[in-house]
Amino acid sequence: MTTETSTATGSGQDLTVEEKISQLRELFADAPEVGRTALKNVLSRLASDASQKPPPPIESAGRVGSRLGKVSELTIIAPFAPGGAQRLRAFLKLFGGNLAGADDVGTVHDMRFVFLDNDTRMLFATAYDGDWDAYIDDFATKIPDFLDIIDSAWEGWPGIRSPQAKDYLAKHQVTAEGWYVANDLTVAETRRLTRIGQAVDQFLDAVGDS
Amino acid sequence: MTLVDRLGSGLSRPPVTVELDDIQATVLRYRPEPYYGTHVMLHMADAQAGREFLRRVTPHVGSAAEWWQAGQPWISVAISYAGLAGLGVPQDSLDSFPEAFRAGMAARAGQLRDDGDNAPAHWDAPFGSGQVHIGISIFSDSEQAWYQTMAMARRQYEGFPGLAVLIEQDFGAQPGDLNPLGYKDSIGQPAIEGSGVDPLPGQGPAIKAGEFILGYPGEADVPLPMPQPDVLGRNGTFAGLRKYQSRVGTFNRFLREHARTEEERELLAAKLVGRWRSGAPLTLAPDRDDPALGADPRRNNDFSYAADPDGRQVPLGSHMRRMNPRDTRLAILTDVNIHRVIRRSTTYGAPYDPDAISPADDETPHGLYFIFLSAKAMATLEFLQQEWINNGNFTGLGEERDPNVGLQQDGATFTIPQEPVRRRIHGIQTFNVLRGGEYFFLPSLSALRWLADDQKGAGSCRASTTTC
Repeated sequence: MTTETSTATGSGQDLTVEEKISQLRELFADAPEVGRTALKNVLSRLASDASQKPPPPIESAGRVGSRLGKVSELTIIAPFAPGGAQRLRAFLKLFGGNLAGADDVGTVHDMRFVFLDNDTRMLFATAYDGDWDAYIDDFATKIPDFLDIIDSAWEGWPGIRSPQAKDYLAKHQVTAEGWYVANDLTVAETRRLTRIGQAVDQFLDAVGDS
Repeated sequence: MTLVDRLGSGLSRPPVTVELDDIQATVLRYRPEPYYGTHVMLHMADAQAGREFLRRVTPHVGSAAEWWQAGQPWISVAISYAGLAGLGVPQDSLDSFPEAFRAGMAARAGQLRDDGDNAPAHWDAPFGSGQVHIGISIFSDSEQAWYQTMAMARRQYEGFPGLAVLIEQDFGAQPGDLNPLGYKDSIGQPAIEGSGVDPLPGQGPAIKAGEFILGYPGEADVPLPMPQPDVLGRNGTFAGLRKYQSRVGTFNRFLREHARTEEERELLAAKLVGRWRSGAPLTLAPDRDDPALGADPRRNNDFSYAADPDGRQVPLGSHMRRMNPRDTRLAILTDVNIHRVIRRSTTYGAPYDPDAISPADDETPHGLYFIFLSAKAMATLEFLQQEWINNGNFTGLGEERDPNVGLQQDGATFTIPQEPVRRRIHGIQTFNVLRGGEYFFLPSLSALRWLADDQKGAGSCRASTTTC
């Protein structure tokens, strides 16, 4: 693992569409039959899609991870400390697996905690607004205990107040190779639009009833 | 005028727990009223020239001792990363400085959202070129003392081989101490724990000294990472310098286009900043200016937003409320105490002219040398630029930006909450455009002596000892 920023799409970034397509063809030559056929069926559409309407570029979310528009991805794979899996499972069960208390954070779209390899490793994945470390210091002073209850399940976690905390996270984070977000909306904007939608519905209901 | 004089009697003074006599004056002394001064940027040809300059100037550098009643002019000395390297600071010591400081402000333009008109490609020389090694600033509360202090400072750098003056920029001497857009500025400053003065009315609880001075615990109860060796880092801090050109013509046209009368223009100007031009805050003077309130340092910052949660008095997107949201309920979990900076804003050039409305008036040289100080100045500036200045998400305003120092995009808006429906102004422009910037380390007085010492960089002795 590395602490350097890595690009989301790796070495393919500087290639032309034609070069990417031909690279795809070569790699799929050895693919199983279903894959080869599938590629043949959609190849012309892929080529025209990729050249005609290039999608918005995936950018770096800062130190690690990718950002598309306003929303970034974060995936951490870390070994459990001894007993860490049991502790974290018990903690998550307290809320039926739903950490609704995270509503207050205001930048987190979702979180998943996946226990791997017979409770020896954990995958944590989240979609969040903005850049990688903008609010880590805020969480360290506002909700340090909640973070340390969760993160102390990981082997070697230095504590959120430690100057090494960010290095630890960056070391165990893996940048996604692909990243798609349907709505370029932050959590705050989503909540605002929900409130506006409700107000408009109330207004229309009142107009319709009169 | 000293802080004690400004505030009259009753300045409450708890015990001092930071080493004021080793900390540079600029860190704690407020900008004088009135203020006069000069910023000087120096380039040194070699380490010897730089060390000799530091040996000459350090005895004249002001300390923060008894800063609340200090009235004399002072000199500060700040050193860029290129300057530290040029002085022969050992490599392992250089490597102990934060990455953003080593890279420099221009190289961090991406993280700072300094693009478009604010991009380093448009900066004035020599900013961003790596040429600036040492920045010295002279602050004074009288014209006479400023001349004398400047003459003394010049004797330390003028005419010495190996020292080149890149910039000598006078500042201050503004009628009423107003900034280039006609506002009284630099009013709200953070209160610093252990600095010897209790929080002033409205300053909020004192913030841990380690947020502003290296070597002390910060808000997370641990000291922030500090450059090594200790003698170099301790009691120092980081300073950011941002040179803004004020587009006075654009600003005045904006006010005229969106307000019909003089009275409405002044209200709009107040809504942008959160304060009337006199400094009176809209929380305490919501309907009309109150110059006596603006001029009174015991009252002009003494408020919270408890009675104004929706921004009907002080818009949520106004400059003052963005830069210090106080008790505003934000959309994102935020510790407002860890994003504060000490501000020493200095205005240069011709005073504000309310009748300047032509495009040519945008390029009349006047603006701000905005100086901010913090033990993590680089990280804080990046946070402010990304989250609180060039964004509105944190306070429910989508992509709206700070009306004062934000970089406005095409079709940008500014929202003024009011009854029955908010007013949203379209087409707000960039009123202060960035024309340069540098990061500096502001060493303690003992660190300045260490830096001036020929032995510390000799390589044969370890950086962690001072006696070799």
